[in-house]
Amino acid sequence: MKRLENLSDPAIEVRKSMCYFCHTNCGVLAYVKDGEVLAIKGDPGHPVNKGGLCCRGNIALKHLDHPDRINKPLKRKGERGANQWQEISWPEALDEIAERLAAIKEKYGAEAVATAGGTLRTDDWARRRFMNLFGSPNGFHNALLCWIPTFMIEAAISGWSPFVSDMANSRIAVIWGANPGASTLPSMRGITDLQKKGLKVIVIDPRFTETAAHADLWLPIRPGADLALALAWINVIITEKLYDKDFVQDWCIGFEQLAEHVREYTPEWAGPLTWLEPGLIRESARLYATNTPGNIQWGTALDQQGRPSGAGIQARAILRAICGNIDCPGGDLMPGPSYEYVVDEELEANDWLSEEQKAKQIGSDSFRLCAWPGYQLISDIAKERWGKAPTAEWMCEANAPAVFRAILTGEPYPIKALIVSATNPVNSYGNSQEVLAALKKVEFLVTCEYWMTSAALYSDYVLPIAGALERPIIHNSYGCSSSLIASERAIEPLHQRGTDYWFWQGLGLRLGQDEDLWPWDNEEEAYFYIVYPLGFEVEDYDEFVETVGSYFPEPEYYRYKEEGFFTRSGKVELYSSVLEELGYPPLPTYTGPVENEIDHPEIARDYPLVLSAGGGFMPFHHSEEFNIRELRYIRHDPFMEINPKTAAELGIRDGDWCWIETRRGRCRQRANLTNGVHEKVIITQRGWWYPERDASGPDPFGVLESNTNVLTATDADQCDPISGTWANRGLLCRVYKDEEGGKR
Amino acid sequence: MTRYAMVMDTRRCIGCDSCTIACKIWNDLPLEIVFNPVITNGPEGTYPHLHMTHLPLICMHCEEAPCVHVCPTGASKKDEDGIIWVDPQSCIGCGACVVACPYDARHKDRESGVVMKCDFCKDRVRGGQEPHCVWTCHQRARVFGDLDDPKSEVSLLVNSLRSEQLFAELETEPQVYYLFGMGGQG
Repeated sequence: MKRLENLSDPAIEVRKSMCYFCHTNCGVLAYVKDGEVLAIKGDPGHPVNKGGLCCRGNIALKHLDHPDRINKPLKRKGERGANQWQEISWPEALDEIAERLAAIKEKYGAEAVATAGGTLRTDDWARRRFMNLFGSPNGFHNALLCWIPTFMIEAAISGWSPFVSDMANSRIAVIWGANPGASTLPSMRGITDLQKKGLKVIVIDPRFTETAAHADLWLPIRPGADLALALAWINVIITEKLYDKDFVQDWCIGFEQLAEHVREYTPEWAGPLTWLEPGLIRESARLYATNTPGNIQWGTALDQQGRPSGAGIQARAILRAICGNIDCPGGDLMPGPSYEYVVDEELEANDWLSEEQKAKQIGSDSFRLCAWPGYQLISDIAKERWGKAPTAEWMCEANAPAVFRAILTGEPYPIKALIVSATNPVNSYGNSQEVLAALKKVEFLVTCEYWMTSAALYSDYVLPIAGALERPIIHNSYGCSSSLIASERAIEPLHQRGTDYWFWQGLGLRLGQDEDLWPWDNEEEAYFYIVYPLGFEVEDYDEFVETVGSYFPEPEYYRYKEEGFFTRSGKVELYSSVLEELGYPPLPTYTGPVENEIDHPEIARDYPLVLSAGGGFMPFHHSEEFNIRELRYIRHDPFMEINPKTAAELGIRDGDWCWIETRRGRCRQRANLTNGVHEKVIITQRGWWYPERDASGPDPFGVLESNTNVLTATDADQCDPISGTWANRGLLCRVYKDEEGGKR
Repeated sequence: MTRYAMVMDTRRCIGCDSCTIACKIWNDLPLEIVFNPVITNGPEGTYPHLHMTHLPLICMHCEEAPCVHVCPTGASKKDEDGIIWVDPQSCIGCGACVVACPYDARHKDRESGVVMKCDFCKDRVRGGQEPHCVWTCHQRARVFGDLDDPKSEVSLLVNSLRSEQLFAELETEPQVYYLFGMGGQG
């Protein structure tokens, strides 16, 4: 590692990069000389991080030069999974992949090709463009676990998701199922600063998190019971007439039906479901409703509950609306799509996908909102009212568990090829055993990766992908915000690494997609096309980054007073016409957690504990950075949280290796005895694998051993009927000591 | 004169370990050596009435530094600005300072045999920059500066709030000061 002290050399160029190890995208200054990054540091001028960098951000150079990185395209030699490879060139790899995809399309139809994505590491408008032009509707991500059900349900109700918290003007923030203290540190700093000025904070979380430790009120909810709590809050706010009467009268429809609908959902009803005292439920509802303006911050927890997810999200959205906390100073602001730059949807070429192919999207008949039926409705309304639409990638996808099952069963039709980019599906999607089986079975598998993972291992081709310092980045909240932040490439990709844009474009051109439809030779050209309409006097994209960098329009309050809400009725639809049209209950109706002791006493007998699988924890992000030894040194093993009383009953001591088991399978993590969880609750860590281990055998790199997703539930009847999201939270489990103990 | 000091605002610290890693990476420390661990206390109390705090540790750069006094070769040095550091050329790895330090802030490197410790990133701070652990902290839970400058943030914090020193009773006059209190008050 070079020392920062040497950086006064005038030959060193300072490039404005961004971190890519989570969605926060902190600004990073990269000190570059002769094509080599000598050092990085947090950019003090960046609007997000103001100089700070977390553990992940600090390891950027270790990631860049890591000996485990894949640096050349690999073609499988020998059996799949044998980990034997031949290095080939990018053109050769793309030629051969294109040939295979063309043959599969010819024989089975374009829909037999699917793609699996991960978290934001990529230009997924380019992936969508490729898939639309190719003719397949079967792209998907872990999108359903992360914001997408929230966005789409809120868009259905109020015309767009009010996801921008105007916290500087707020009196209270409800942090619901999120832990910015371990996941989004710049946001935690903002909360801490505002607390000093009087902001009140309620944290709703089964775990006494870093954020809960700083809150004014912590509601330790039963995992998966958020819907019951939200309904009871609505009940209290309506019964005690704490709602914003003017806003409800002028700008909401369906209030009378809602009031009638929630009459039975009292705090006394919710108490046994949420494990919260009715008095605490009542008091917390009053706190939120009487301290206006206030925010309810989005957290992934509601997106990750399977069956009750959609109704819970809807109830949370209703809470904001009846308290008048939408689009007002201090409330939750609705940015809408940008009118000032080119948004992702405009880059996706969605018109190229025929109605016939859209109808084939796997899972879209059962789970309709976040797939073509629901997206088409919302997109049509949005285009009519806003003139632009939400991004189709992420918001409108095949249902991931249904695609993995289609690979295994051939139903509803065969999926023969899977292109994996920016994810290890075995770690990150639900029911890992099924995912691993699908990856082993699919006829043709291609993976774009930094490292050799268990997914890459079974691939026919592995393409080496450039990291954050080797590519520019635009972040604009999945193309659904009016703001953006942008970074430039610190250095050209090292070795023979390439980018995902390069991959999709190269593949598209080889498959006969028109050159005019792929007019940008690189990211910089495409990104310049995106930012050009902003009207800054810049010659190219890099100049935009260096002189402008980020774009945050002044917040517009009360836009609805002139234009109405961008729903069909022009109002916030507490009684949702979109959900009703899609065949769903128009008002949020109670349904219990996917597995629970009240509805399923027979399961609870064998699996008496309640599991919340896999919240974020420092220093890892999803399944990333487990190769970085400095990070593994401070977090060497996986730990699950268990109450000391429960542990004593089970004969488990602090640090013991334990099995956590659900009806799907079991994984082993060590016990962290903490009274920060309820006696009946178990919290596991996510993402674990052991890159230092052998790739051979039935569990390559130990990817199933400590992986919390072997526990999660993805059966169709366990998924949320509205969005199709599956269940990581609110499952029943049992825990017992691993008598063999120790490292494997 | 300059007298460097650091303030740890435990009311703001969230135990994310960013400082730990930033220091390890940028000072290129051997894998098993950590200059600034963060200790988590808690959650303490009876569920659900809990509290939890984090305690970032580091070399205290004591004014009366026992580690400097015990060094037989003069390798352990204390400069005029208060920074304590080890000259690897003169260190014979006897380990006397490791034992003398009440804060466990000195570490013998197995490979080179010499003692390593935090030097407040002296080359950086003397060039007007902040130590890596301060720069990287999102929460701004660490403040670094000159105690002899009455307008510096460290002076204001040390003199205006009830700041505390760890093991003050040992009278080594540590120059790292701690602010305690409930989270959210920082």
